[in-house]
Amino acid sequence: MKSAEGRGRTLDEAVDAALIELGVSRRNVDVKVLSEGVSETVVEVTVIDEAAADAKTVPVNGKAEIARSLVEGLLKLMGVRAQVQVRSGTNPITLDITGRDLGALIGWRGETLRALQSVTNVMVGRHLDEGERVIVDVERYRQRREHTVREIALRAARQVKMTGDAITLDAMQAFERRAIHLALEGDPDVSSSSIGEEPDRRVVVGPRPDAQ
Amino acid sequence: MRGPAAAERIRRAIGLVNAVADGAGDEEITPTEIAEAVRDCLELSDLDQLPNVRKYLGEALDAVSDGMPADFVAMTLYAALGALGEGHQGN
Repeated sequence: MKSAEGRGRTLDEAVDAALIELGVSRRNVDVKVLSEGVSETVVEVTVIDEAAADAKTVPVNGKAEIARSLVEGLLKLMGVRAQVQVRSGTNPITLDITGRDLGALIGWRGETLRALQSVTNVMVGRHLDEGERVIVDVERYRQRREHTVREIALRAARQVKMTGDAITLDAMQAFERRAIHLALEGDPDVSSSSIGEEPDRRVVVGPRPDAQ
Repeated sequence: MRGPAAAERIRRAIGLVNAVADGAGDEEITPTEIAEAVRDCLELSDLDQLPNVRKYLGEALDAVSDGMPADFVAMTLYAALGALGEGHQGN
């Protein structure tokens, strides 16, 4: 995997510097903060899933191919011109939908995309094992959101460590909250929990009680 | 203001179902809570003018009672949300 180190006065500047060096956009990268000071932040930016992003065809198992074929058929019936591919090396099965002007397929805050995923799982359900699910992504929207909220989580964690005060994040969907809990679960100094009711449920990042 | 209120309640129910399906891991959600959220939607008398919305909400409630998968319940609730949008466009 390609990676590069970036330096800047702020986190954004450091990430941008590394992205320029790599010649990639923020879409398929993972960001690791190496150090963060008052005057300089250093990050390591790694291009993730490069092969899958470039692959035209990938080997797929039977279930994934059934799911791919069903979604392709559904999109055709909807009059949506798009390609459906199985993302390689992912568990659960992840389907990538790509094409032009697919914003309508994502919808407000990803609502249409989430509905499409529900429909897909209902259609494919009888071919899947108990508890097995299919994730649907359009133009890597979901993957980008997961990376974004992970960055937000890490930034919030650093702030909590500096100030000792808890931070309440914006309302998020379940998969986004899950990404935050997973990003912070190994941190010995901060913990995350959720408050409020759907659809305004929010993650609170605060000092871990036993770390104080 | 029936539209925003109804949409908000349906989205709350969808959020609960999706939290189960996506395994957010930050709350225990019981079928009873989901059923209550759907009943909250059905309580809106304004929905009497939107029979399709009521129909889908009723189906979602049945699906919860029958122990259908979360994605099936979610799909039915999304259908209700879609019917609500169509109802408003028609009004």
